[in-house]
Amino acid sequence: MSGNGSGPGPIRTGRGDAIVTEDLGVQYDLRFNRKTAMRESLAKVVLRKPPERFWALRHVAIKLAHGESLGVIGPNGAGKSTLLQVLAGIMRPSEGSVEINGAVSGLLTLGAGFDQELSGRENILLGGAFLGLDDKVTRELLPGIVEYADIGAFIDAPIKTYSSGMRARLGFSIATAVDPDILLLDEVLSTGDATFREKSKARVIELVRSAKAVVLVTHDMNWVVEYCNRAVLLEKGAVVLEGPPDEVVQLHLDRTAAAKAAKEAAARAAGLDPRIAR
Amino acid sequence: MFEQARHGVSREVSGTAGPLTMLREAIGEALSRRRLVRYLVAADMKKRGSDTLLGNLWWILDPLLQMTVYVIFVTIISNRKQIDYPLFIFAAILPWKWYQAVVTDACSAVVSQAGLIRQIAFPKIVLPIAVTTANTVGFVWGLIPLFGLMLFYVDRITPMLLWIPVIAAVQYVFSIASAIFFAAANVFFRDLGNVVGHALRLWWFLSPGLYAIDHLDQDVGFVRDHHWVQVVANLNPFAVLFTAYRNVIYGGSDGLTPPLPPDLLSLAILLVVSVGLIGLATIVFKRAEPEFAKVL
Repeated sequence: MSGNGSGPGPIRTGRGDAIVTEDLGVQYDLRFNRKTAMRESLAKVVLRKPPERFWALRHVAIKLAHGESLGVIGPNGAGKSTLLQVLAGIMRPSEGSVEINGAVSGLLTLGAGFDQELSGRENILLGGAFLGLDDKVTRELLPGIVEYADIGAFIDAPIKTYSSGMRARLGFSIATAVDPDILLLDEVLSTGDATFREKSKARVIELVRSAKAVVLVTHDMNWVVEYCNRAVLLEKGAVVLEGPPDEVVQLHLDRTAAAKAAKEAAARAAGLDPRIAR
Repeated sequence: MFEQARHGVSREVSGTAGPLTMLREAIGEALSRRRLVRYLVAADMKKRGSDTLLGNLWWILDPLLQMTVYVIFVTIISNRKQIDYPLFIFAAILPWKWYQAVVTDACSAVVSQAGLIRQIAFPKIVLPIAVTTANTVGFVWGLIPLFGLMLFYVDRITPMLLWIPVIAAVQYVFSIASAIFFAAANVFFRDLGNVVGHALRLWWFLSPGLYAIDHLDQDVGFVRDHHWVQVVANLNPFAVLFTAYRNVIYGGSDGLTPPLPPDLLSLAILLVVSVGLIGLATIVFKRAEPEFAKVL
């Protein structure tokens, strides 16, 4: 709607590219955020206030080949989740373009889309319908999903009776069951108990190995260094560095430490205890 | 998007499509996601029945109780003596409750699915369609107390009742247009939910539900003196619908004419207008849709 930026540029897509973004930008219009009431937006129309906008992402160019695993890191509010939402097709770019080659499955926030009143089984069927899967396909996948989630008799109980770990497990097995070409994961490696964490790690590694592209948002730097073959550091909606995971992670750690030191110095200058001012 | 992706390449660029492209897209989405609509309707049914003691029985009791309240209320304040008044207003209460539920639920249709919308790319247009369809089931349940009530007025039971599905179909089309519009608008203006309740109540009293439209200029001095009020009142979609329902269920507004066919010309005009409104609402909806995930 607010696409007044540069038009779509020329695409240079290689054969093996799963994801190509060019000059990608996503702009939020803060007039309509959750807290805005009709009164305020009316006042703004009447008073002709300039619209408040901000770029959650800007000038992001990323290329990801099939078989690659990209770790997206950065501080809170850097635009990591927005990037995943654009890649999943949930948001449209405000400027630039996104090209996706293959089926996408997203696990953005685990289990947030479940209907609390329905059972696990019904949620799987409903979820399949939301994803646009054929009913026959969903029903074929059903036993595998139930088995992998390992939630026993709870599969026929309403989701509201589930523990958060069970919810996460069910969400994970739904998203990975559809055998996507491109898997988008947002902070999923830290959910569930230790056993399931190992299991999900193994599954993600398996997916990466079987020539699937994975984009993973995480704060777990060890995972990025160990299992991703590329990493990108986002800050304030812009790419700071893209490259080998260890380099990107090192830069992120350095910058975080520098930011912290600067904040502490400022607090010390103001005469506050740095331990409080964190 | 997922659909496209499954068949290979998908490409999203900034900018908006033209209105006709949007319409074509929306029709395709609604048709290809019929099963999703069905699942959503079934889920809705299940939830409604589960959390109250009497469950689905309320769909039968609710219109009857509302009718009782109005019969008592109107008998006290009105001079006009309408023959078989309970049936006279029940013919309007039933469709009105349906529409009221559609609009109220439509306001929360998109907002209540915030979690999913931020997680999965799917055509959001299915949500208001599902809400309208789910409430149609409530209307069908309401036909049970209608037939129960008609047992007290056996001489009004005629083959004209078979027109009810035709009139309901026109109302369904009008309801879809309203639902699509309100579902999108409430995402941006959350106060709409509060306003709509009162606006609907006002609309109900301005519509010929508790009275007949041709009694308006006889009973109300202001209408008698200002002819245009009568003309405007006749343009109200619910003037058309209530009169049609009442014709086939109750008969003429004098209470003596037996049930007669509805005015097909006005129903046809309402149908055409409603189809146009669906197109308009769909364009509004599709224009707003890309912003849903950001605003929710």
